[in-house]
Amino acid sequence: MRKWMVIAAPYVWLLLFFLIPFFIVFKISLSESEISIPPYTPVFSLSEGWESISTKLGQLDFEKYAFIFSDELYTSSYWSSLKIAAVATFLTLLIAYPLAYGMARAPKEWQPTLMMFVILPFWTSFLIRVYAWIGILKNEGLLNAFLLHIGAISEPLQIMNTTTAVYIGIVYSYLPFMVLPLYASLEKIDGRLLEAAEDLGSPPWKAFWQVTFPLSIPGIVAGCFLVFIPATGEFVIPDLLGGSETLMIGKTLWSEFFNNRDWPVASAVAVLLLLVLIVPIVAFQWAQQRAREAGR
Amino acid sequence: MTASPTINGPAAGASPAERRLLRTAAPQSGFAPWKDPSKQPIIRFENVTKRFGDFVAVDNITLDIYEREFFALLGPSGCGKTTLLRMLAGFEKPTEGRVIVEGKDITDLAPYERSNINMMFQSYALFPHMTVERNVGFGLRQEGMPEDQIKARVNEAMSLVELGKFAHRKPHQLSGGQQQRVALARAIAKKPKLMLLDEPLGALDKKLRNQAQFELMRIQEQTGTTFVIVTHDQEEAMTVASRIAVMNQGRLEQVSTPGEIYESPQSRYVAQFIGDVNIMEGKVVSLPGDGTVEITPASGDGRIFKAGACEGLFVGQQVWLSVRPEKFRISLDPPQSNVNVVKGRVDDVGYLGSISHYHVHTEAGNRVTALRANSSHNVERAISWDDTVWLEWPAESAVVLKA
Repeated sequence: MRKWMVIAAPYVWLLLFFLIPFFIVFKISLSESEISIPPYTPVFSLSEGWESISTKLGQLDFEKYAFIFSDELYTSSYWSSLKIAAVATFLTLLIAYPLAYGMARAPKEWQPTLMMFVILPFWTSFLIRVYAWIGILKNEGLLNAFLLHIGAISEPLQIMNTTTAVYIGIVYSYLPFMVLPLYASLEKIDGRLLEAAEDLGSPPWKAFWQVTFPLSIPGIVAGCFLVFIPATGEFVIPDLLGGSETLMIGKTLWSEFFNNRDWPVASAVAVLLLLVLIVPIVAFQWAQQRAREAGR
Repeated sequence: MTASPTINGPAAGASPAERRLLRTAAPQSGFAPWKDPSKQPIIRFENVTKRFGDFVAVDNITLDIYEREFFALLGPSGCGKTTLLRMLAGFEKPTEGRVIVEGKDITDLAPYERSNINMMFQSYALFPHMTVERNVGFGLRQEGMPEDQIKARVNEAMSLVELGKFAHRKPHQLSGGQQQRVALARAIAKKPKLMLLDEPLGALDKKLRNQAQFELMRIQEQTGTTFVIVTHDQEEAMTVASRIAVMNQGRLEQVSTPGEIYESPQSRYVAQFIGDVNIMEGKVVSLPGDGTVEITPASGDGRIFKAGACEGLFVGQQVWLSVRPEKFRISLDPPQSNVNVVKGRVDDVGYLGSISHYHVHTEAGNRVTALRANSSHNVERAISWDDTVWLEWPAESAVVLKA
């Protein structure tokens, strides 16, 4: 009995906080918008009895989904989100790898401290940290003031409200999610493997590409998914740092809900976003499974 | 697990003593380049010292190792044997002194620049992401050898260790013994002049270890490579080595053949480290000048021990007499002579089938161990607990130790 409760707990959690909300959103996406509270027609209501529910179900269509596919705003939002997330993930990897490598090679007694430095930003609210970047990046912000002061530029750089600012925001915010799995896989690599490579005639820089890098691939894969998946649906960073040119699906979703008050279309956008992200999520699970089966 | 006829042969189940006999019957029996002054050593350590902070891991060692030797560095953990080996591989740089291999000073060369030296690592250090084939070919690939030649050399190395059919497996799909062979094949594939083995068989169980020792010897003889092995297992060193360097606290205690180490140890440390031994403290009472020495035991009851003299003894010097348990003749009746005799009481008897151990409490208060082969039973009354016995030994089988 107790065993079943333990097994059931995560499923109950998923049911309550994922499946039920998902079906509510899905149900809204099938309804029509109208000016009322809430701003959509009910698809069905359990109080109307079975007869009415079945007729109403028969009338359901996926009109909102068809609409999303016909309107370029939505499709290009999806594409642009995936593109921005992919580029930002790659940039995060480029910065995180040397960091994680340095941590893994540092003396053992320093490693917990270095690890704490990586996690330190989490002690401040995510929102406040992104706000802080406005102060750094804006035309009269810290970065421009510094560059003007040392004479590197003669007039302020326009970074705020560009896609560049969004990249900076994503790379900064998600860096720990890349560093930690990378560190975990690099730290596990037996130093004797590198000695063996060197002994067999491979100089250290070659040994890195022949031994260290391939053995860190599970960490790279895990880190990339952990950054890519949330970055695709990111709303706060493009909203605060990005401009009108930066199309991201999170932002489109938000304006559909709160500016247009078109809940059914917004819900359909949300359901589609989930479907889009299921592909990388499943791929991630598969990669993790494979890494486990590889036996290490 | 496929085993070769060589390792399944008559040697596999032999006791260490029997295997030593097999060893001397091997083709290398007349092999003693260290006695030939015209021979140049392949390895020369010249006053090599290695310090890690305050700790002296290797303390001013000078040592020559010759081509085709199977040289063992033997000692307890922390004695500096691994550091010495790692200096040959290039992973440690001596704090002082030089390392010369094939007449060339390699002290400052990085490991990847020492193309004539390869190492087999403790717990193997196989690349987990590569197949057996890629592991074995790794060193050849670094040289930029053409693929078809690599393939031939890999096959050659793998058939040498009888591993052919595992070419496409990953290391984690192999047993410990198979992994050990891959590690060996990987190091030997580059055909080094010098092969370093760091506790190569430490991870194997005892039976497999015995087989693997013979395989190492076979491969060493087949390839004509000079092997330097680090081990803390004295039996292993005795089995495989042409010469053994017994190390203690960063210094060489003795460098000799297994037979010399066992029969004529130069210090109590070496005597106790290799095999079982009984050590009796005493003082030199006279040096008759016929190559013998007379010693009176520390307990001072007027008895005299006679043994072969070594150099630099003087009357009144404190020495130790070392007698191996199997050199004792144990009997229930007092012997005629009273030289090299101790009387005692049997504390314990260990019957092991072919031999018996007797722990004897001597009159002088020592505990000594005697060993007797059970070659003929019921000839005399069996020696048992609390029997009064006499232990007698021939003068030539006792060794006088000055330290």
